[in-house]
Amino acid sequence: MKEWFSDLAGQFRLNFIDGDRWTWLLEGFKMTLIITFFATLIGILIGVVIATVRSTYDKNYESMKKKGGIGFRILSFFNKICGLYLTVIRGTPVVVQLLIMYFIIFASSTNSTMVAIASFGINSGAYVAEIFRGGIMSVDKGQFEAGRSLGFNYIQTMIHIIIPQMFKIVLPTLCNEFIVLLKETSVAGYVGIRDLTKAGDLIRGRTFSAFMPLIAVALIYLAVVIIFTKLVARLERRLRNSDH
Amino acid sequence: MTTDGNALIRVDGLYKYFGSNKVLRGISAEIDKGEVVVVIGPSGSGKSTFLRCLNLLEEPTYGEVWLENRLVTPVDPYLHPEVIEKSKTFGKMLPSFGKEHPSLGEEELKAALIAEIKSKDLLNEKHEGKACKALMKQIYKENSININLARQKIGMVFQQFNLFANLTILDNITIAPMKLLGMGKKEARERAVDLLGRVGLPDKADSYPSQLSGGQKQRVAIVRALAMNPDVMLFDEPTSALDPEMVGEVLDVMKELAKQGMTMVVVTHEMGFAREVGSRVMFIDEGVIMEENTPDKFFSEPENPRLRDFLSKVL
Ligand SMILES: Nc1ncnc2c1ncn2[C@@H]1O[C@H](COP(=O)(O)OP(=O)(O)OP(=O)(O)O)[C@@H](O)[C@H]1O
Ligand SMILES: [Mg+2]
Repeated sequence: MKEWFSDLAGQFRLNFIDGDRWTWLLEGFKMTLIITFFATLIGILIGVVIATVRSTYDKNYESMKKKGGIGFRILSFFNKICGLYLTVIRGTPVVVQLLIMYFIIFASSTNSTMVAIASFGINSGAYVAEIFRGGIMSVDKGQFEAGRSLGFNYIQTMIHIIIPQMFKIVLPTLCNEFIVLLKETSVAGYVGIRDLTKAGDLIRGRTFSAFMPLIAVALIYLAVVIIFTKLVARLERRLRNSDH
Repeated sequence: MTTDGNALIRVDGLYKYFGSNKVLRGISAEIDKGEVVVVIGPSGSGKSTFLRCLNLLEEPTYGEVWLENRLVTPVDPYLHPEVIEKSKTFGKMLPSFGKEHPSLGEEELKAALIAEIKSKDLLNEKHEGKACKALMKQIYKENSININLARQKIGMVFQQFNLFANLTILDNITIAPMKLLGMGKKEARERAVDLLGRVGLPDKADSYPSQLSGGQKQRVAIVRALAMNPDVMLFDEPTSALDPEMVGEVLDVMKELAKQGMTMVVVTHEMGFAREVGSRVMFIDEGVIMEENTPDKFFSEPENPRLRDFLSKVL
């Protein structure tokens, strides 16, 4: 027993203390959070725009088709682009998207962090867009009509009335998307980024012991996810109770 | 498409189809300034649809809605007689049309041909020439009003209140005047507080809609519409979703409004309100106005058998 403990302590020292290797994990963790955070922002931005285009198209398809006109053609065009984007992004693995972004589209860029943020953001945007679309659809139709009846145009009604309510409805789902994204960024190492996963793997390569670094990495992810899930649950309860 | 007359709202040959369901089948009506027009009719007869066509929440299938002599419905300038007369199609058809109708005089003949072209929709935008197009543009500019501007002048109160759930009562009332009329925050708030006081809700400014009773919500909804200083107010069964004890408080606010001279179109089942406040009562059934009259005559000497039948059920 004593032997086992001293072995464990030795392993710990080897993997984390020697050469200050724990800072690798810390730096990696920071990188993971940075990528996740900014990718989420990009995802939300893309999501709002796409959800607005798609639900505008769905809502006005009938009445606008009849009249035709340039407005409808522009909207149709953007709606098609959005549809294509959703199909491609949701139909291919995120690692492949990341590799394509890094080695083909932004091959000339040396800032791999930026490329990763863009790549994960664009990926997340496709899922967030569908979350938002569901949210917009579930805002009571009367809210929209009340806005229009006061003289707000379509966009103003969306901005002042519908989208704020949509955010409230989808906030818990959006937080879950953040958790998913956090875990998905673990493939960033494919393009040479030292995120949390990569840091653990680097330690393993240096110390030739897998157990300690990989379990440590797993525990860190797990801790963040558990904490975040708790926060989301509390948020959900508060939203349900306040109801405004 | 005429522009004479002084009606605040004029409806001309309004049709509304939902697919094959012909809900409105030719409604024409005028609503003058200061009038309180009460619309009654059986469930599903098209009362709400009629009201919602007035501010284009529903887009009419055919027909025109005018607000203060400006066309609210999308202009189809090709239906304008002057445009038709300037068109190439008209020029081409006139000689042969004259031969077909030798008995008509020149003016009559032109009018008949215009009617013919209008009804069969014979004009084609691409082939009608420059003069025709220029006139079209001019008519469009002179006669139409942007729908969002029109809606600023047409307040609407819904059966389900539709207060903005994400905003406080005060913000519900001030958002439109501030964003649309460019009113300053201070002025908008002062007006909102004043209006809330007048409907008996001076202490609800900072509440959220979910914290109010139905009657209170509806009074706020009326204030929200009033805050835009509308020229006319539309009410679609404003008391139908309320518990009976709250109906009175909302009707009182509406009566007060009527007394102050607000032009109102009210769809309701409250016959007492129609009698007391209405300047005119309209019976809509099967998508047409079957009868309209002053409240006195409407209730005491109904002519249409369907109206008599309806009144016998609701009175
Ligand atoms: N958006 C819509 N799509 C399809 N059909 C509709 C729509 N709105 C109304 N209708 C149909 O139009 C008809 C008239 O409806 P409307 O709501 O105008 O009646 P109403 O006179 O207001 O009835 P109520 O007294 O029940 O409110 C009904 O048959 C209804 O099913
Ligand atoms: Mg109705």
